[in-house]
Amino acid sequence: MIDIAIKNLGTRKVRTFLCILAVLAGVFLVGVTLVMNDWMYGTMTAELAKYMGKIYVQQGESTYPPFDSTLSQDTATAILDRTDLGLNLAESAPLIFVRTERGMMPFIPAEKMVIGVPAGREAILIGTVASNSGLNHFAVGEKGDVAILGKTVAQDFSAKVGQDITINGTKVRVIGILEKSSMDSVNIAAIMPMEAVQRIFVKQGQVSSVLLTLQDVRKTAEVAARLEQDYPALGIVTQDDMLAEAEQVMKMPIMYMSSMGVTGMIVAMIVIMSTMFMAVTERTREFGTLRALGARRRMVVGTVLIEALILALIGVPPAMGLVFLMSKAMETTPPDTFKLVQTIVFTVVAAMVGAAYPAWRAARVEPLEALRYE
Amino acid sequence: MNTIVETKHVCKTYGMNGVAVEAIRGIDLTVNAGEFVALVGPSGSGKSSLLYLIGAMDSPTSGEVLFEGRDLAKLRDGPRTDLRAKNIGFVFQTFNLLPTLNAFENIEIAMRLAGMGRSERQSRAAELLGRVGLSERAKHQPRYLSGGERQRVAIARALGNHPRLLLADEPTGNLDSKTGTGILELLRTICSEDGQTVIMVTHDFRAASYADRVLVMRDGRIRGETKLQAGQNINQAMEKLLELELQ
Repeated sequence: MIDIAIKNLGTRKVRTFLCILAVLAGVFLVGVTLVMNDWMYGTMTAELAKYMGKIYVQQGESTYPPFDSTLSQDTATAILDRTDLGLNLAESAPLIFVRTERGMMPFIPAEKMVIGVPAGREAILIGTVASNSGLNHFAVGEKGDVAILGKTVAQDFSAKVGQDITINGTKVRVIGILEKSSMDSVNIAAIMPMEAVQRIFVKQGQVSSVLLTLQDVRKTAEVAARLEQDYPALGIVTQDDMLAEAEQVMKMPIMYMSSMGVTGMIVAMIVIMSTMFMAVTERTREFGTLRALGARRRMVVGTVLIEALILALIGVPPAMGLVFLMSKAMETTPPDTFKLVQTIVFTVVAAMVGAAYPAWRAARVEPLEALRYE
Repeated sequence: MNTIVETKHVCKTYGMNGVAVEAIRGIDLTVNAGEFVALVGPSGSGKSSLLYLIGAMDSPTSGEVLFEGRDLAKLRDGPRTDLRAKNIGFVFQTFNLLPTLNAFENIEIAMRLAGMGRSERQSRAAELLGRVGLSERAKHQPRYLSGGERQRVAIARALGNHPRLLLADEPTGNLDSKTGTGILELLRTICSEDGQTVIMVTHDFRAASYADRVLVMRDGRIRGETKLQAGQNINQAMEKLLELELQ
């Protein structure tokens, strides 16, 4: 009966086209949702991977980035001086985080921030991120009002290396601009010497947290437990804590994205339902004729479902093409075969659910009723 | 002679806006194989209702409709549908061709529903198109066919499965008299040459005169019956029918 379904769709070209367009939009939203959710998880995983074997010590109950955390520099120094923890001192340091612009959404803690790092230790944050100026350290010394800008901040300031920008009323010279990092906390940050940040934001003698890197990452849990015991008033944050927190924070955007996808699919489903419902109502007489000629109810149901399925499946390739284009434009990973299959399954289910009632109605048409239909 | 259809004191009552309308009031009828029977009568006489009951498209309120001895009222939807597909051909007043299919496909569809194989139904459809003189119009959709051509396609469709019974509901009702005569002659030929059993509903005495036997209906009952002789003058036949109508 596929041939009959195709002929029926071909006869009502405008309606078929509009329905396919709506399905396309729905499938596109589902595809985008899958890609975006995947991208968010991927970014989070990549970001958190960098915190393996690292422990943040900060004020109790504060989150990461620890804008609300305040520790005395003396406490930080005391922790760093401990020889029993097995610290890799080259990659351990006190840090100060200052939020200069709040995020637009609850799950984005900051749009811009300044991070203070002891001079010469900026690699702790920057890691392997390349600088487009070739300069990624504070060559000018501890007291210099200098900054290395993340890509996003540099774009916002339209800053170039060697230019001055103003941070909290103080002129700061840009000495490096980083290439885009997979760590968004680096992209939105101006990384400055610790002393300069403390002075500019009047936080002398204060830090936000102490970043501890262990020589043996397998001892992370053990060291964290010991620190919790020794400093009960402080918060000890490990990679596991960050993961739990990140998952909590990600819940909302993922739910938001998923609801967009679900809405798209529901819209597509309703369009399929209304299209098929109209088609069935218009074709009552045809279905009656088929029944009179000997079509069983299941065959009538099949015809309607096949039409809906064709409508839905035609919308999938162009929608997924758009998703591919969008993922390219957004520099995210395009959907893989699994996601493609997932999307097709969603679409088929939506089409079947949408067409179920019209199909049932069509199957209930009695031959006699249809022959009297005027 | 083999009996194809037998009705035993069949009654049918419809509910219309809360009012019971007795469309058929106790009809006893026997139709034998190879007969061409016309049910004639004015609108509302119950002739179409009787045809639907005989065609297994409706169930009687009381009484029995037997198709080759099987009581149609006792069949569930599936077997009734199969019986329609394999044993009964329908020709409707408004042709009821499927608008998205061409003439050839419209003939083929009935055979598909009856489960006939592809090659068999294709050769049968081609043969029937030739029989009704529309081989050249095989690829035309119904909207490109004249009324007479559409009805010819509908007759070909009805014959596709070699039905035991062909039912025609006002087959000339939507046609001009010349085209209508062509359709009636075709039905007559099918009956005479193939031994096809035909029951035709019509309000037109001229059309009824093509049948072997004419039953005049009024108010849900058969008021009279006459047999027409082969080769009988059409005017004589019509006079006989008018006498019946006036009784």
